[in-house]
Amino acid sequence: MNQPDRYVQFVLPAGEQKVSYKADTKLAHAGTFSFRSEDHTIGNLLRMQLHSDKAMVVAGYRIPHPLEPVMVVRVQTNGTKSPEEAMQHALQDLASEYELMLNEFDAQIGEVTRQADDRQLHGL
Amino acid sequence: MGKDKEKKSKAKLPEHLQQRVDYVTCGDKLNYNVNTFTSASTFTAMGVDNSWDFRNFQDNFKIVINKLDKEVMEFDMIGVDPAIANALRRILIAEVPTMAIEHVFIVNNTSIIQDEVMAHRLGLVPLLVPPHLFDEKVAEEAPSEKNTVVFKLDVTCKRKPDGSLENDKVLSSQLVWLPAGSELPEETTCRFASGQAHLFAEPDAQAPRAVHSDILLAKLRPGQTIQLEAHATKGIGKQHAKWSPVATAWYRLQPEVHILQKISADSEVAQELMATCPGLFAADGENNLRANAARGHELVLEKLRRLMEQERFSSVVAYRKRKDHFIFTIESSGVLPPQELLAQALDILQEKARVLKEKL
Repeated sequence: MNQPDRYVQFVLPAGEQKVSYKADTKLAHAGTFSFRSEDHTIGNLLRMQLHSDKAMVVAGYRIPHPLEPVMVVRVQTNGTKSPEEAMQHALQDLASEYELMLNEFDAQIGEVTRQADDRQLHGL
Repeated sequence: MGKDKEKKSKAKLPEHLQQRVDYVTCGDKLNYNVNTFTSASTFTAMGVDNSWDFRNFQDNFKIVINKLDKEVMEFDMIGVDPAIANALRRILIAEVPTMAIEHVFIVNNTSIIQDEVMAHRLGLVPLLVPPHLFDEKVAEEAPSEKNTVVFKLDVTCKRKPDGSLENDKVLSSQLVWLPAGSELPEETTCRFASGQAHLFAEPDAQAPRAVHSDILLAKLRPGQTIQLEAHATKGIGKQHAKWSPVATAWYRLQPEVHILQKISADSEVAQELMATCPGLFAADGENNLRANAARGHELVLEKLRRLMEQERFSSVVAYRKRKDHFIFTIESSGVLPPQELLAQALDILQEKARVLKEKL
């Protein structure tokens, strides 16, 4: 069987670049990002986050081949920022979103466990 | 998601559009308006800015925990895009690391269960081993005390003097942890430089064992024996489902039932609705038809969906689902508590975004 090892889906092979960018030769402000060892989890997220950028004209992702652990995002902007900048911003936004979500979640868990402790304390 | 966007720019979407942005409408045969409007320029023509803004996200994002015990957590996640909810779900299932048996060295197996089937069954047993104490074992790395936990299984079935059988059932509780490492270092190439006992020395720490003590691994007859060594390593669900830390993790959208026009609770349509969907509909103070919160009436909602076939009902009530309100359930396999799983999933996502940004 010529199926690659499962772990290449999440372990980056030595010497491989995690992310590479290739500018489009025919279109201005356009290019493709290739992400190694990433899949729909990040692909769909990036697509969503890039869409909500005002400078975005086109953003889409695909996985060219199911056996190759490569995910490709195609981006075209209106020129107010370069595709690389747009990607930087999208990733920054996502990171800050998760931080907020984690903080909010921690606060809620703290609240719930405190209530449970209170109940136990009062023998309810 | 729509509401927050209104706040930013003064222009508002007309009500019928806003409703399309906020809700999926459930019809009798299919759902309508299922797409999300993420593009920043979707409503530019109407002067409504649909772009992402951290402030807005912060104002709208909410988590409410409904249920939390050792294995299950249900919570509402409000104000996020489906892509985020789905990424979380995918990470929970496939990318949060746990420990599971990966290599099984069989010394003797005279039971009727074949070696490879036995090995597979062992692999699927959830193990109570904190994954953060161990490193991931990369492809050809040698097994050591840093990346491997060793268990032994040595059972022989005997007939007792009173005629009953001893060890006729091999259970997961009979897996014995070997803190000093493999007893067959020649065959397994697993050599520990130091023991692992100190990792579990704290009074509240639990020694490695199977999460559930009553998982049936094999059945034996008198004289049959199973002797083996099982080596557990760290991994993620993407490689094999045995490393998935959740039995499952899923989400659904918040259901809502809306009354579209005022009708008297005594009217035929209202009476029929109240009879078909008990608890969901009631009469309000002015004896008009009122819809209660749809949560908790899930079975009745499917009946309501059937009624939507008829125009006389679909013109009066609407069954909708909020697009940015997710009811998320995490069922842990018992390896880690569900709240810990979600925290880790968020960490992994944050780390992914950070690493990609760095490598860009």
